[in-house]
Amino acid sequence: MKTVDCRFKISSIRQAFADTLFELAVKNPNIYVVDIGLRPSLYLDRFAARFKSRFIECGIAESNAAAVAAGLAASSKTVFLTSFACFSPALNWAVIKQSICYNHQNVKIVGSHAGLMSGDLGATHQMLEDIALMRSLPTMEVFAPLDAVEMKKMLPVLASSPHPAYLRLVRPPTTEVYPPKLSFTIGKSQLIQSGRNITVLGYGPILTQLFSDDFKKYSLDIINCSSIKPLDSDTILKSIKKTGRCLVIEDHQKNGGLGDAIANLILSSGIKSKFIHLAVDDSFGQSAVNYFDLYHHYGLSPLAIIESLKKLLSKS
Amino acid sequence: MFLPKNSAHPLYPLSRSLRLDILEMINHAGFGHIGGSLSSIDILISLYNSDLFNFNKDHFILSAGHICPALYAVLAQKNLIPRSELLTYGLFASRLQGHLNLETPGVEYASGALGQGLSFASGLALGDKTHHTICLTTDGEHNEGQIWEAIAFASKYHQGNLINIVDSNGYQLGGSTAEMMPLTELASKYLHFDWTVITVNGHNFYELQKALKTAKSSSIYPACIIAKTTFAKGVSFMENKFEFHDVKKLPEEIYLNAKKELEAK
Repeated sequence: MKTVDCRFKISSIRQAFADTLFELAVKNPNIYVVDIGLRPSLYLDRFAARFKSRFIECGIAESNAAAVAAGLAASSKTVFLTSFACFSPALNWAVIKQSICYNHQNVKIVGSHAGLMSGDLGATHQMLEDIALMRSLPTMEVFAPLDAVEMKKMLPVLASSPHPAYLRLVRPPTTEVYPPKLSFTIGKSQLIQSGRNITVLGYGPILTQLFSDDFKKYSLDIINCSSIKPLDSDTILKSIKKTGRCLVIEDHQKNGGLGDAIANLILSSGIKSKFIHLAVDDSFGQSAVNYFDLYHHYGLSPLAIIESLKKLLSKS
Repeated sequence: MFLPKNSAHPLYPLSRSLRLDILEMINHAGFGHIGGSLSSIDILISLYNSDLFNFNKDHFILSAGHICPALYAVLAQKNLIPRSELLTYGLFASRLQGHLNLETPGVEYASGALGQGLSFASGLALGDKTHHTICLTTDGEHNEGQIWEAIAFASKYHQGNLINIVDSNGYQLGGSTAEMMPLTELASKYLHFDWTVITVNGHNFYELQKALKTAKSSSIYPACIIAKTTFAKGVSFMENKFEFHDVKKLPEEIYLNAKKELEAK
C-alpha cells in the first residue's frame, strides 16, 4: 500500500505550532501558555525558557489549568492551554464550558496527539471525540490545520481573535500540501483541489492522503474544512450543488464529528446529494506502530476512500 | 483577645436586613439555596463593607454560585443593582439568575458548577498582581478534587494576593459534610500546602475584619480564612438541617415564622 508521496515535504504540525507561538510571543507580551505537564511533547521548552513569567506550569491537573487559564484571560491575556486532546478538552470539559465559554474568556485550548494518528499510544490516548465535545459548546470555535503550512498561517489569526477556540494538533510529522499562496480566515474553508465529480470534505492531515496520483482520475473537489466551527457553508454547498456527491472523511468518531455537521447542512439546504461519511464507527482505537495500519483497519485508508468514491459514482 | 460584642459592630444591623432580603427573594421565586445563603451573608457583608478592599480594582470571585441570593443582597446594599430588582431572582429573563451570570453588575465570575472558582481566582491573581483576588468557597465544595489542584497551584506560585474564604457551615445537599465526605483538619491541610490560615467565627464582624486584615498582609503565602458558620443561621428551625440546603416554594407558615424570627434579631 502506498503511504507517503515523496514529492511532498514532511513536517510537524506540532513543531510549527510551537515555533509560530514563540514568534508571536516575541512580539506580543500578552501571550501566555498554561501548560498541563506536557511541555516537551508540545515542543514548548524554548517558550518556557525564554518567557519564564508567561509560561505557567500547572502539573497534571487539567481542571485547575482550564480555570487558571480563564482567570488569566480575565486579566486581558491571550492564553494558550496546552495538553493532549485526550486530557484537555476531555477531562476538563465542564470547566471549559463554565469558566471559559460561559464567562467569555479568550482561551485557546490546544489538544495535541488527536486521532488514530497517535498510533502506538493506543485507545486511551487516541482522542476521537474532541470535535464532538468542542463543537457543542456555545461560543467555542473549532480548528484543525491540514498541515504545518496552514498551522503557521492559522495561529496568528487565532491569537488575534477574541473568542475561545479549540485547536486540534496531531502527533506524527505529515505531508505539506497547503498551497503557500492561500491564507487562513476564520469561517472559511479552502478549495485545495478543484474537480467536477465528487466533493471531498475533511480536516487535518487525513485529507493529505487524497493528494496522490491514484485520485487524479476521480476529478475531486477537495475542500479543507480547517475551520470546523464556524463552518463555511457557502463554499461547501456550492461544491455539493455542482457535484451532487459528498464524501466526508475524518480521524474522529462518526458521532458528533464534521460529518454530522455536513449532513445537517445538506439536508437543511434542500440540495440533493449522495453522502458517505468515513470515520471511526462507534469503536475504540488501538495501538499500531504505523498509523496507516489503523487507517486501514478502521476504513480510513486510500483503499477505503477509493471504494467510497466508486460507490458515489455508481448509478445505483 | 478582647473584642466588643458583635451586636455593637456598625455592620451588625445589615446582618438582619440582608437576611430578610434573602428570605424575600427565595420566597418570591419559590426556589433557592437558603442554608448556604444565610450562613455566608455575614462574610459577604464584612468583605464588601471593609476599607481593606476596593472591588473596582480588587477582585471577588464567588465559587459557590448557588448561594447567589446572599451576593445579590450585598450588591443591592452597595447600590450595584437596584434593590427592587432583588425580587426578580430566578425569574425568566432576569439578570439575577438561579446561579451567577455575567449580566449582573458587580459579578466578575459566573459560577454554578462547584470547585472551579478558586482556580479562576488563582489565574486572575496571577494576571493582576497589583490587586487582591478574594474567593469564597464552601466546605462542601472541598469534596471537589479541583479545589486541591488549585490549593497546590496557589502555593507553588506564592500567591500572596490571593485569599480564599471557606464558609464552613458543615452541611451540603445530602447531609452533614462530616458524613458525606469528612474534611478532617481542614486548617492543617491548608497549612501543609504552605498557606497562611486563619480560623474565625464567620458571623462575628470584629473577627472577620481582623482576619481579612491578616489575610491581606500575608504577602508571600496565599491566605485561607476558615469561617466557622451556622448553616441557615438566623432561622432556628432551619439551622443545621441539611433539608434546608435548597428549598422549593415555602409553605406560608414556614415563611412567616422565618420572617418573624429574622425581624426579631
